[in-house]
Amino acid sequence: MSAALDVRDLRKQFVIGRPAVDGVSFHVPAGEIVVLLGPSGCGKTTTLRCVAGLEHPTDGEISIGGTAVSAPARGLLVPPRHRNIGMVFQSYAVWPHMTVKQNVAFPLKHRDVSGAETERRIAGALELVGLTEYASRPVTALSGGQMQRVALARSLVYQPQLLLLDEPLSNLDAKLRLRLRDDLRRIIKQTGVTALYVTHDQSEAVALGDRIGVMREGKLLQLAPAADLYNRPADLFVANFTGASNLLHGQVLERQGEFATLAMQGGGRFRAWAPPAIAVGERVQVAVRPENIQLGVNGSEHSYDARVVAQRYHGTQTTYELELFGERIEVVELGTAARHGVGSPVKLTLPPNLCWAYAASETAGQE
Amino acid sequence: MTSITQGAASAPSLRFAGQAQRRALAWSWTCGLLLILTLLVIYPVAMLLIGAITNTNPIVEGYHFERASLDNFLAVLANPNVQVALVNSLIACAGGTALAVVIGLIFSWIVVRTDTPAKRLIAMSSIVPLFVPPLVGAVAWAILGSPRTGLINTLLASLGIDFRINLYSMGGLIAVFGMYYAPYVYMFTASALRNMDPSLEEAAEVSGAGAVRTLFTVTFPLIAPAIVSGMLLSFIVMLGIYGIPAVLGAPANIHVLTTYIFKLTAWSPPLYSTAAAVAVILMVVTGLLVWAQARVLSGRSYTTVAGKAFRPRALRLGPWRWLTLGLALFYLVVVVVLPTLALIVAGFRKFLFIRSLTDVFDERAYSLVHFERLLANPLALRSIVNTMEVGLWTAAIGGALAFAIGYTINRTQLPGRRGIDIISTLPVAIPGLVVGVAYLWAWIGLPGGLYGSIWILALAFIARFMPDTIKALSTSLMQIHKELEEASWICGRGMLGTIRSIVLPLAKPGVVAAMTLLFILAIRELGSSLFLYTSETMVMAVLLLDYYEGGNVGVTAAFSLVQTVLLAVLIGFTQWLSRGAADGGVGRAG
Repeated sequence: MSAALDVRDLRKQFVIGRPAVDGVSFHVPAGEIVVLLGPSGCGKTTTLRCVAGLEHPTDGEISIGGTAVSAPARGLLVPPRHRNIGMVFQSYAVWPHMTVKQNVAFPLKHRDVSGAETERRIAGALELVGLTEYASRPVTALSGGQMQRVALARSLVYQPQLLLLDEPLSNLDAKLRLRLRDDLRRIIKQTGVTALYVTHDQSEAVALGDRIGVMREGKLLQLAPAADLYNRPADLFVANFTGASNLLHGQVLERQGEFATLAMQGGGRFRAWAPPAIAVGERVQVAVRPENIQLGVNGSEHSYDARVVAQRYHGTQTTYELELFGERIEVVELGTAARHGVGSPVKLTLPPNLCWAYAASETAGQE
Repeated sequence: MTSITQGAASAPSLRFAGQAQRRALAWSWTCGLLLILTLLVIYPVAMLLIGAITNTNPIVEGYHFERASLDNFLAVLANPNVQVALVNSLIACAGGTALAVVIGLIFSWIVVRTDTPAKRLIAMSSIVPLFVPPLVGAVAWAILGSPRTGLINTLLASLGIDFRINLYSMGGLIAVFGMYYAPYVYMFTASALRNMDPSLEEAAEVSGAGAVRTLFTVTFPLIAPAIVSGMLLSFIVMLGIYGIPAVLGAPANIHVLTTYIFKLTAWSPPLYSTAAAVAVILMVVTGLLVWAQARVLSGRSYTTVAGKAFRPRALRLGPWRWLTLGLALFYLVVVVVLPTLALIVAGFRKFLFIRSLTDVFDERAYSLVHFERLLANPLALRSIVNTMEVGLWTAAIGGALAFAIGYTINRTQLPGRRGIDIISTLPVAIPGLVVGVAYLWAWIGLPGGLYGSIWILALAFIARFMPDTIKALSTSLMQIHKELEEASWICGRGMLGTIRSIVLPLAKPGVVAAMTLLFILAIRELGSSLFLYTSETMVMAVLLLDYYEGGNVGVTAAFSLVQTVLLAVLIGFTQWLSRGAADGGVGRAG
């Protein structure tokens, strides 16, 4: 039923400005959920809409289940209604002049489905999203979360080969978003449909996606399972976007396999993971997540001396601003006790595995 | 709200006055406004209702209300002529509305939802008819489409085509109605389409529906309230129009309610009470439609949640977009270019008779003779002066009154403002012609000479256009943040001082625009003038109709051109003043 999605060298140029999507390629095997993540204006929604056929790509090729649906070079463009895809919109897009059941029944009307089969499928779809007893209600009488469930049922009732979701949770309040997020993954997995999901919310991406693709300025920077994304960001933007907010500067002294020894700007030696492209002698910047730095552990081979410059107490955690190699970094310590006073020296452990060096020319360029 | 701010809201100018005094002042203000409104609206309508159930002639006999009886009204209802006029009205308006809906919907779809080239031009051309006075439009179409001498028929004959059109017919009436009132449907549906979340349509497309199916199962049902509302409004306006049926229907002996009412008062002796009764019928039908429209507008509106700003969703038509462009240009030609050309040809040609197509370009046939004859007529000059005078007084007094009412309704907590609101909105449901009959009944039998002066025209126009003026003004009043006024009060200014130094300067563009709108509406008004003018107080619209009915096509066309140019200049001036703030306000009153 579900089909693989293949996007190759997708480009979309609107009338003005830089390309919204600039050479994006990726593959989603049947049954997998891929989340496109990125700040607003990164081209994730445009990519999704190109896959849906609602936007016409400038170049590249899109195939669903091995069949090309969009290849501008060959003049091929299958309209959305013939792509057999489901789509859930940010604004729900449930039709306010219809009841829940009429909304869900709509896609079946244009397909060769018998009356009894229609009823069965509608019942199935409504049960799947937990709205069985709401069937005859007008959709305008529903809450936002329920409307989005109707939209989901409507997009699944005809068993599409691919489900597209465009920030489906962003109009819901925080509590509902968490609940629906988990339901969404369960429902998608239960139907086994291939899904492409667009969001700007990281926690949503991690909770939902089998793999996450980070986009920036029309380019797909990295497509990987969440753990890889968080532990081996492909570049400084991905590192910074996923929360590695500390930056240290230095120069590569030597390389040992995946790792490199660096001479830091403010003096001192430091070991970090470095992508293969980083060569000896190159200037680099090292990204470190505040949560990955351990405070006050002695004796480890990767511990360094730092000094507390400032302290912000948050109750269940404390954020320290430290001076390390003459630069400022932030460290988060969990627990209700703040153990280090301002001005006191402190030992830090920075496992090289969790410190990532990138070329100094890269920009984090976020927000 | 504390009692202090409430006191401030009603009359902060009396900071040192006692509570009782303040209340008395507030009440006297309310009563003053209510008194004016009663005189302008309630009293004439009451006289009309009474007139409808008597059988007296107020000029000859004065008012004899003791003879009032419902039987008179029932007799009018049973009159077959009245029934024919009512049925004709309903047929013409229903047909015209149907045509207007088709044209309006097609245009709003083309402009909002497709990638047709020159959309800005199309959007503009779809509302142009709003600015054409109905009488002028009808005269132009009579010149184009009269069965024997119509320019189109002359052209067809010279091309050897046997087909002839006849606009002096129910079909002609419907066609001209439909063309000229399509903008009402267009304005409502275009804004509804624009405000509709495009993902609602995209969802239908993704789930398998084609473009046409999406249009009929999702798009149109969703904008149904706008369609119905535009439909009702155009029906209401057509129902109250006198000029078009007088020009196109009368030659074929097709009478609608408005023309029938006028015919009754033109008989000798005039049947004023019958006219009042038919006017009441017209008012009741209009009132029902206005009520229905209000219900539709206040009813379910399909606002949906949407996070992102909508992207304009333009359907790619491919080669079909030339067809839609062609359609738009065709409409522009039919509604604007052809009538204008007809007026120019008829106004500048010595004789309208055109033997062949080449004859049209024979410059010897053209002269200013019709304009000279027009200007040689002292009545024509007087009508222009009168019209301007009435227009200026209407704009000045009506504008000031509308400001006072608008401010009272929107910005104060004064007692009785709900009542003021309701009474000042009432004229929406009263067609111009009915206002005329009502004023006739209200003042003709009274001494004092108001009837027959230009003042009665000005008062009737003020009453008739009060809802439009107040609406235009309220919009600009609403835009002034309440806190700007409150800040002035805090600074120690009184209420009147605040209005003078804060509200008026800020609302000035809106006030000026509303007054200009009122001026334009007043100088093109025909329906209510018909019953209130005398030879001393002749106005342009009435004289134009006189010329037309006198059969002098050349002078009629020349006068139409004069009025059109005058209006175009004024409308251009208003647009420049309001800079697009109050689109289409001019058209509201037809």
